[in-house]
Amino acid sequence: MEAAKTCCCKRSCRFLEFLESSIGKKIMLALAGFLLCGFLIAHLAGNLFMFAGADAFNHYAEALEANPLIPLAEGGLVALFLLHIALAIRAKFANQAARPVDYEVYRGKGARTPGSRTMAMTGALILAFIIIHVATLKFEVGGLKGPDLYAHVTGWLKNPLYAGFYILAVAGVGLHLSHGVQSALQTFGAGHPRYTPMLKKLGLLFAVSIAAGFASLPIYFGWFAPNTTACCAAEEGAQ
Amino acid sequence: MNLTLKVWRQKDAKSPGGLVEYQVSGVSNDMSFLEMLDILNEELVVKGEDAICFDHDCREGICGMCALMIDGQAHGKDKAATSCQLHMRRYQDGDTITIEPFRAKAFPVVKDLVVDRSAFDRIQAAGGFVSVGTGGAVDANCLPVPKQNAEKALDAASCIGCGACVAACPNASAMLFVAAKVSQYALLPQGRPEREKRALAMRSAMDAEGFGHCSNEYECEAACPKDIKVSNIARLNREFLRASVLAE
Amino acid sequence: MKLDSKVPTGPIEDQWDKHRFELKLVNPANKRNYKVLVVGAGLAGASAAASLAELGYNVEAFCVQDSPRRAHSIAAQGGINAAKNYPNDGDSVRRLFYDTVKGGDFRARESNVYRLAQVSNAIIDQCVAQGVPFAREYGGLLDNRSFGGAQVSRTFYARGQTGQQLLLGAYSALMRQAGAGAVKIFPRREMLDLVVADGRARGIVCRNLVTGAVEKHRGDAVLLCTGGYGNVFNLSTNANSCNVTAAWRAHKRGAAFANPCFTQIHPTCIPVAGERQSKLTLMSESLRNDGRVWAPKKKGDVRKPQDIPEDERDYYLERKYPAFGNLVPRDIASRAAKQMTDDGRGALGGLAVFLDFEDAVKRLGKDKIAEKYGNLFDMYHHITDEDPYQAPMRIYPAVHYAMGGLWVDYNLMTTIPGLFCLGEANFSDHGANRLGASALMQGLADGYFVIPYTLGGYLAGAKLGKVTTDHDAFRAAEDSVAARTAKLLSTGGKRTPQDFHRRLGKIMWEHAGMGRNAKGLQEAIAEIPRIREEFWKTVAVTGSGESFNQTLERAGRVADFLEFGELLAKDALAREESCGGHFREEHQTEDGEAKRDDVNFSHVAVWEHKGEGREPARHTEPLTFENVHIAQRNYA
Repeated sequence: MEAAKTCCCKRSCRFLEFLESSIGKKIMLALAGFLLCGFLIAHLAGNLFMFAGADAFNHYAEALEANPLIPLAEGGLVALFLLHIALAIRAKFANQAARPVDYEVYRGKGARTPGSRTMAMTGALILAFIIIHVATLKFEVGGLKGPDLYAHVTGWLKNPLYAGFYILAVAGVGLHLSHGVQSALQTFGAGHPRYTPMLKKLGLLFAVSIAAGFASLPIYFGWFAPNTTACCAAEEGAQ
Repeated sequence: MNLTLKVWRQKDAKSPGGLVEYQVSGVSNDMSFLEMLDILNEELVVKGEDAICFDHDCREGICGMCALMIDGQAHGKDKAATSCQLHMRRYQDGDTITIEPFRAKAFPVVKDLVVDRSAFDRIQAAGGFVSVGTGGAVDANCLPVPKQNAEKALDAASCIGCGACVAACPNASAMLFVAAKVSQYALLPQGRPEREKRALAMRSAMDAEGFGHCSNEYECEAACPKDIKVSNIARLNREFLRASVLAE
Repeated sequence: MKLDSKVPTGPIEDQWDKHRFELKLVNPANKRNYKVLVVGAGLAGASAAASLAELGYNVEAFCVQDSPRRAHSIAAQGGINAAKNYPNDGDSVRRLFYDTVKGGDFRARESNVYRLAQVSNAIIDQCVAQGVPFAREYGGLLDNRSFGGAQVSRTFYARGQTGQQLLLGAYSALMRQAGAGAVKIFPRREMLDLVVADGRARGIVCRNLVTGAVEKHRGDAVLLCTGGYGNVFNLSTNANSCNVTAAWRAHKRGAAFANPCFTQIHPTCIPVAGERQSKLTLMSESLRNDGRVWAPKKKGDVRKPQDIPEDERDYYLERKYPAFGNLVPRDIASRAAKQMTDDGRGALGGLAVFLDFEDAVKRLGKDKIAEKYGNLFDMYHHITDEDPYQAPMRIYPAVHYAMGGLWVDYNLMTTIPGLFCLGEANFSDHGANRLGASALMQGLADGYFVIPYTLGGYLAGAKLGKVTTDHDAFRAAEDSVAARTAKLLSTGGKRTPQDFHRRLGKIMWEHAGMGRNAKGLQEAIAEIPRIREEFWKTVAVTGSGESFNQTLERAGRVADFLEFGELLAKDALAREESCGGHFREEHQTEDGEAKRDDVNFSHVAVWEHKGEGREPARHTEPLTFENVHIAQRNYA
């Protein structure tokens, strides 16, 4: 309020005040998270082309890469991730500072969920996964290089360690979302007595669907997909 | 029944504190938790020791004075009850009970189990009121209020300001307390003229006290002795967002 | 002692108007130069502090709790009366006035009660404007319910938490002024002495309960809004910190105490469960709207209520008082319950009677009952581990409210100029028995609508000399407080303050409780000084005076109760009649109803402190009834 008085531009100060407030930060954090959910949907939809075969998937990938807006979108995506992470870390520190002396015994009354308890952990796991994921599949770190994207990806997924980590990470995404989606709705102020509980249930369904959708890839291509030439090509590439 | 208590003792705000173990005997089922502490305290006084300080007053769950963290749960194991409403029939002979003060940076310990909750008063002073002076009111029935709004406002207004929401919150956030007050007025026509001002001012005062952020884990709701719902927090978020956009 | 009630002359309807006009005003610009000390932050204190600050006075507010929001007004459940006549059932200012005087068994001052009824409507308006969420009808308008002692529905309510909502309303007004810098709030302070300088109240000495520091506060007027003394009985429905200390110390500095024997025993409380119980819990009187009170017809019947057939139940209130039934005033309902248990017809053979909702649940459905009384039922369930939806509640009378208090004139000023007394702490409006839902009304009337006028009248007319906290009177008060604290800490005894409190409480309840007689009262008067003497020799107070010390706090309060209890018993002994909550067994009708003696006792008993170890003097303020026809109360 004080700032608003001394500032030449009241409106922009109000916005800064909003961004600096506990609720404002939460709203921004939730907004970034929400947009990232949009990315997850798009990404999953693209990934599912893999079930349609190598040609379909490669064709989709090429079309995507040919889009001139992609670098912009990638930049936006990175910014969203960084914003989400930065706000989450700030909140975490502020929250720790809000209780400098901890309880000897803390039990709660059962409102916390596995998802809510592990937000920081699943967040860190997801970050680690993203780094590995982008490094191995986009920048071809790790010594594997397929003749095309489909081969490259399935090549990695054949690696049980890689596939296992992939599954673990998307389970983490699911867990993160199980709290995150309903939390974001609450932060946005969704409070209809009938619709909001329904939306929150849909949020849980969304979390499970996203996790299951992504996990289907490593499970199928890691263990159940028939060996194709792509796989051999990948191995050749590796040699 | 006989019990072992581990009680947080701290001489004053500046001194370090720690858990001290006590034995209490002759506790009956019908006693309240605070009466059990009374027994221990009387024994301590007879022995010449300083009694354990703990806040309490009405002992019927409405004044909001009592504030104990009992075995890691704000106000103990019962739902929708204050520490003074907890009865010893909920315990068994031989139990060990840990009793700590409510902990938050904004609730500094005063002595033993007593904390300073004046932060709540300051938040209230920032905007938890309708600016109407004595004497200027119109006839009470000039302001019809839909029954469901009046009921919801009363649900929110039931807050006793005990601070259990802060104590139970993993982040020591005061959102449920602030949300209850903002909601009460947002739901009533009387509160409308100052709606934006109130949301902004109370949020600002809350942050200034050093409470944590709300991470929507709802331990506050589970611990609230008056069963105040987290839907009020959603309303506060909405009111704040609205005010941030609309306020001049 | 000169007792001038300052009641205005003329027709009762015009008295308050006339008086307000005659009161001098303080120039608006001058108001900030007056400092007003408000002790206590319940309904009376918070509303007074907020209203005076709004007017521009420089206000300092003190409370014993950690926040002004916690005063015991918060525990009032049932409602607040007002003569709005919204239900169109025949209410009016005059009827509320009449009911209150009659309910008080003709022992209240007519003019004060009339003013109370007059301002009652403005209180509801004020509270609604503050955003107090009263119960409403579906059309959005305010709902009313009926309450004991009245045949109209004039009680406004917010579920079973009306006191809480009203107090939070007053608290919000107070915090608004605190935020604006017009009120300075001093929480966790206990007033331990009144400072009287040059014949006027000019300040207080209080203990900072956190640091133990003795603090001196100067003011141009002092308002005591410190509540009632029910805890003299040890077990009562009052909060633990409720005490007589502030009023008692003021009494010892010259403020007369009126009608200390008028205490209200509330009929519907949860029965005592054990020796070490620390307080009793009230179940709102509003429960009697739908609950039916009964006792077994057979003596010594220990069967569970469910096993007692309908024709073996005695719905004794409905039988004895068909016109009012379960809604007779509190004193009558309490005494009737005592008669049942004295007769060996208590619930389960114990000290209790049944309050039964079976018919109401059948008639209205469980949901409706839950909506009306849900929180009370839950409270009962919590405490007793019995579900009142399944079996009737067991209830028994318990000490609840003090009608007596510091004597005040029409301006609410005590016999010490500049010392005002508001709310339950004064004696003014309820006579010998308070009607349900009238305490909230009186507290707020005093704070919102009486003191803002009468205080101005005093300040404008008083020539106040300059007094600082270096004044001899401050020094003397400070020294006496410090000496007393030192004495409490140094006895080296082995008996806890609670122990003494229990002993005092037992004597008070036995001899000065629901039934009183000369022999018992004389015993009490003989016994209390002995306990007091023992107290000062053997009380154990550990810890130090320079820190947070709840044992010391309790000891100081018990010490004052040990003096006050004696005065209460003396007052009860001197009042050779039965009226309202004061029931002298020697004075009853053939049916066991209270028998007043209007010839000899139609007066306020006003006690003057004559010094330590001296007999107090009993003065009287005659009561005249020109607007109410004085008659034996009849609720049959």
